[in-house]
Amino acid sequence: MASSYYRAITFLGLFSLLHAAYSAAQHRSYLRITGQEFTSLPSDIIIQGIISLFLTMYGVIHIAGEFKEIRATVELESRTWETQKNLPSFYIFNHRGKALSPTYMPEYRSNGSS
Amino acid sequence: MAMGRVKTKLEKGGEMVAYSESALRNNAAIVEYCRTSMAAISGGTAGLLGFTGFYGFGFYVFAVLGLWALLMMQVGSQWKKYFINRRTILTNGFFGGLFTYILFWTFIYGMVHVY
Repeated sequence: MASSYYRAITFLGLFSLLHAAYSAAQHRSYLRITGQEFTSLPSDIIIQGIISLFLTMYGVIHIAGEFKEIRATVELESRTWETQKNLPSFYIFNHRGKALSPTYMPEYRSNGSS
Repeated sequence: MAMGRVKTKLEKGGEMVAYSESALRNNAAIVEYCRTSMAAISGGTAGLLGFTGFYGFGFYVFAVLGLWALLMMQVGSQWKKYFINRRTILTNGFFGGLFTYILFWTFIYGMVHVY
């Protein structure tokens, strides 16, 4: 199942982002305790953040849905002639085919001469 | 018969091309969905990385370009089958996404770096 695969990728990316955020918060509190000045985050947190961002974007793009072809004729190409000519308004049920039925009783009709 | 509305456009060579309106709208909705998610997630990332000032806006531009590249990677070389114009995907809704981005940026920055 492709969809659940991309869903797993998205959740993995989001979890990794959460983990990176937690690491950054830990780093800040560590700096605060030891009394150092904040210059920038350690590079592994930055790299993890950016990689998980792209991982999540990749997953979301695949979850969002399939693109459709925008040319109008594509839809018509897959349609057969049998479907095209099927017009319910022109159905006729009262025709001479009923004479083939074994239970058919021809109704007597005078020729109008008498 | 259920047939979507059709939109036509004159090509350069004088050839008329018909596009299916519903397919166009479907693709635009997918791109919009990706763009909103991208703005939220990249805003969160910018916040946790602790960007301030113009670095944050630079990161937004970087994220927009990254999303565009990922979309182009997905549709591949036959993007003409799915989109009329490749550049509008890059520029459409740039500022609308920017506001979502700033919201998440400031929120996550406050969560991680201030408190």
